[in-house]
Amino acid sequence: MNGQGLIKGLGITFKHFFQKEITEQYPDVMPRLAPRFRGCLRFQFEKCIACGICVNNCPNDVLSFETDKNEKGKKKKLLNYTIDFQYCMFCNLCVEGCPTSCLHFDHEFELSRFSREDIKMIYQRPEGLDEAEEGSAEQEDKEQKQIAAMLKALEKSPQKVLSKLLKAEEDINILAELIQSDQKTAAKMAELMVKDKEKAVKVASGFVNKEKKNRAREESDQEGGNTDA
Amino acid sequence: MEPLFINLAAAFTGWIVSLGLDPAWADAILLLVKWIIVITIITLNIIILIWLERKVSAFFQERLGPNRLGPFGIFQTIADAIKLLTKEDIVPSVADKLIFKTAPMLFIVIAVMLYTVIPMGEGMEVVNLNIGLLFFISIGSLATIALLMAGWGSNNKWSLMGAVRSVAQMVSYEIPLAFSLLGVVMITGSLNLQDIVAAQDKLWFIILQPIAFITYFIAATAELNRGPFDMPEAEQELTGGAYTEYTGMRWALFFLAEYTNLVAVSALMATVFLGGWQGPWLPSWLWIIIKTYGIILVFFWVKWTFPRIRMDHLMSFSWKVLVPVSLGNILLTGAGIYFCQWMGWC
Repeated sequence: MNGQGLIKGLGITFKHFFQKEITEQYPDVMPRLAPRFRGCLRFQFEKCIACGICVNNCPNDVLSFETDKNEKGKKKKLLNYTIDFQYCMFCNLCVEGCPTSCLHFDHEFELSRFSREDIKMIYQRPEGLDEAEEGSAEQEDKEQKQIAAMLKALEKSPQKVLSKLLKAEEDINILAELIQSDQKTAAKMAELMVKDKEKAVKVASGFVNKEKKNRAREESDQEGGNTDA
Repeated sequence: MEPLFINLAAAFTGWIVSLGLDPAWADAILLLVKWIIVITIITLNIIILIWLERKVSAFFQERLGPNRLGPFGIFQTIADAIKLLTKEDIVPSVADKLIFKTAPMLFIVIAVMLYTVIPMGEGMEVVNLNIGLLFFISIGSLATIALLMAGWGSNNKWSLMGAVRSVAQMVSYEIPLAFSLLGVVMITGSLNLQDIVAAQDKLWFIILQPIAFITYFIAATAELNRGPFDMPEAEQELTGGAYTEYTGMRWALFFLAEYTNLVAVSALMATVFLGGWQGPWLPSWLWIIIKTYGIILVFFWVKWTFPRIRMDHLMSFSWKVLVPVSLGNILLTGAGIYFCQWMGWC
């Protein structure tokens, strides 16, 4: 019948009249944001390794940074990091690409500023970061040297070095054979012995047990083969 | 509480006469005072009405509406009125200045004149006319002229288009408007609104004349230029229609007059179909206010539910549906009355 839609429409508005208002009272009540809401892009200076993946990923040239080689010329040193936020389109590609996850979007959405320059966020290298990083670099160098020395010693006289880890003569011999036959195992053992001795002991005995089992199986296989024949 | 205002009026006349004036003069002064009171009430009422419409429309759309100024934003309209009063009054240089300036005044005067005959309580009206209903309809249709003046005087194509639309619409809807009231007049045998109210002491005419009520409601919506029949304004098509060139208080006068018309028509509907000031317990002047506001809320409800109708549909609806239906209602009412008399019931 004609006119039914009118009644229906009136019914719908009548129903809506008594429903709760959905207006967001924004400045008085802050909106509830989804957990992955993309607000302001934030950067953590300490985590950054200056790999430049974020800069390559960014479609709008929002991100840029300056680096310097450190004194020994081995590692890039991040000097500053700039987010020119006015061009950002919140695509999240920089965040996804970052290997050390030093970029993230937080829930800050009131981003209006009085001038374009204010929109730019420049992160300067924090003071004290140099010493901390250099200290760790030096220690790393030292360790590398120690590992190399250990590897040499292992190749020269494995029994002598391994006697520090294992007690039984038989086990030492087995592991020595293993190291001499496999370069990888040798490198791993050397690294572990420099960095963490307790772990090295565990790993060494693990290697030995595994090798023992292998040998036992081979023997039993041979025996079995004999009886069959 | 019931005879409060009547006693006040009597006391006032008595006071004037005691000052040594002729009773005829006292009546004239009383009339003037009544008019001033009516105009004051209308103006104050508009403030509430505009706030109410904004609030109600917000609730229909699950919004909050005005809520900043005062409790529930009740002072928002006052702020708006102050803003409109202090705005620059612009008259377009190519406008027909006399017509342009008279149009809003005429519109508001016509709107206020409608209140002359509406019974606002038992024995409470500005003038008790024996042709009250006819007066109301004829004065109400004068509003077309004011809108046409506004549209023509503005010398703007949108204004003229809005004016032309409003003339076409209001003239067409005048006919079903008058016809749907005829049924009630036939039953009561009087055009006096107080008589019509008195005839409803047992049964409201909405029960005897439901078709007339509906046709009158639709025709009145069109007559008031309210949604879904707000073609003369049609912001999206005509940038405000006849009001396009108006600014500040002149524009506000149109706005005021529209709401004044709304209240007047709602009051007439309450009077003719809903028993007017009749009702139990409460004083009569409170009853008419309650009924009028009830009808106004229905007007709001309709406006904020339906989209604007197309102009040609609007015209064909009037001529092809409303006019035949209201004519049929008259026929049905006549037959009913004849049947009643034949059976000896009345």
